[in-house]
Amino acid sequence: MTARVVFRKASRWYGPVMALNDVSFELGPGVFGLLGPNGAGKSSLLKLACGQLRPSQGTVELLGRPAFGSPEVFHSVGLCSDTDAFFEDFTGLQFVSALLSLNGFDRAEAEKLATAAIETVDLKDAMHRKIGGYSKGMRQRIKLAQALAHQPEVLFLDEPLTGMDPQNRKRISDLMKRLGEEGRTVLVSTHILHELEQVTRRVLLIHNGRVLAEGDLGEIRDLLDRHPRSVRLKARDARGLARELVLLPDLVSLNLEDATGHLLAEIRKPDAFFSRVQELSATFGVEEMWVTDENLESVFSYLVRK
Amino acid sequence: MTTETEIRATRPVWSAARDVFFISIERMLPRPRSFWVFLLLALPVLLGGLLRIYPPKDLPLTGFELYGMVIALFFVRNLLPLVALLFGSALISDGVDSKTLTYFLTRPISRLSIFLGEFLAYLVTVLTLTVPCVVLTYVVLCAGTPQGLGFGAPNLIQDLGASALTLFTYGSVFALLGVSLKRPLIPGLLFLFVWEGFVANFPGDAPNYTLTAYARSLIRHRPSEEGLAELFSKFFGVGESVLVLGITGVVCLALAVWIFSRREYVISS
Repeated sequence: MTARVVFRKASRWYGPVMALNDVSFELGPGVFGLLGPNGAGKSSLLKLACGQLRPSQGTVELLGRPAFGSPEVFHSVGLCSDTDAFFEDFTGLQFVSALLSLNGFDRAEAEKLATAAIETVDLKDAMHRKIGGYSKGMRQRIKLAQALAHQPEVLFLDEPLTGMDPQNRKRISDLMKRLGEEGRTVLVSTHILHELEQVTRRVLLIHNGRVLAEGDLGEIRDLLDRHPRSVRLKARDARGLARELVLLPDLVSLNLEDATGHLLAEIRKPDAFFSRVQELSATFGVEEMWVTDENLESVFSYLVRK
Repeated sequence: MTTETEIRATRPVWSAARDVFFISIERMLPRPRSFWVFLLLALPVLLGGLLRIYPPKDLPLTGFELYGMVIALFFVRNLLPLVALLFGSALISDGVDSKTLTYFLTRPISRLSIFLGEFLAYLVTVLTLTVPCVVLTYVVLCAGTPQGLGFGAPNLIQDLGASALTLFTYGSVFALLGVSLKRPLIPGLLFLFVWEGFVANFPGDAPNYTLTAYARSLIRHRPSEEGLAELFSKFFGVGESVLVLGITGVVCLALAVWIFSRREYVISS
């Protein structure tokens, strides 16, 4: 096995706050899910992995070098961070090309690779528009494009599916799976188990700064199915969508928020719900979908007790 | 356990700095900050124009002398250090605040390249804003006067050099402040208005420890009437001033790069 990301007894604290505690694991080729509730330490782990932070104790290696202070590894590493930050006045193509130029590609090569990456995330029609005018889902996809464009061997994706419509969730999930099959290492931080299940069964469970296990997704999913999950949907015809969704047997509650026009659903069987939303998305114009993770917290508390 | 991936080296410093520069200049120049600073720098052009259209009856100064006063007092002593503070202190902290610094930090380029690219973009931006305003001020105040435009042209060239050196030195100082402190603006203003504003006019050797005393010594053609400030102000030779400003700028830049290369930047959503 080839280990590309290696944590050895790595800890990280911010002042008195322990963000990550004595974490050890190794990742080779394939897709890995990093799963945990808010504040579990997922983002800190990713920041350590891609050398944005130093470990307070222990070591973190990326492609055989210390992750912090080894910029050369970024020839082969891509990061899609969780921050919604861009060069707002750049077009999508300019943004990805400019970042490729930092990898040493000349202008023509950078434009070619950028266009290919933008096509991969299905943004070609919007690539000459300024990022400032992109929707949340488009911003997420252009961020993903810049992480993919230089065809890295290691990819860190922090909540990559946030704000995407069902079709694009499916597209990006398929892409992650394909990258894993090509032999790249993909570490995806998410709390959306449904999509993760489509790309991998290997999951790092993280809670309170500790990696509980490199767990099997099946067990977690069973637990989650027993706990209602909250989903927020934005659709062109929210009322029409609501009329269809109330027919689902495992729907716990469904509310139409007057202020935002969003639908708030509590569900027990995410699989069935997401499949149905995907079927209905074209008819009712589903634009965005978020899964909140309050209930994941309770599942993790259960796992910790176990 | 080792990796099979073959790792290429970090990109050469200057070619990576050039690429950072092109990204940074595109983000720096068209910003609202640049627009407002340009308006401020263009104020003497407007005032000079008004003076030429409605000349006061008893004005004892020629157009060239007026220009000398404006370049020394308005530009070199007050406005250029302020411009350097606004842009220089924001070199890295803007990237932290806008959370875009991550895009630079996760590329195969050294932090030295990032810093140099950003600093070059700063210099080009502030010079692009400053040079036309200084030249226009000169033209507006000197064109059509008995001395004409040709009389002070060599001084104009020297003044542009003095402006560039002032922007370089103060920019380095404030870039150092920017990478060292989370909120560099208030300490920067205190430095400008308390230290530089007062100490430079103290009697004795105190002005030796200010930058403004050296910067204003580079403007040799200013009129002598500067009131009390003229009595106390200390002036240095051009060579000495260039040396002190240059060395201060280089030392501050080196320190800023050293700090930037070692610091962690916690950028969270």
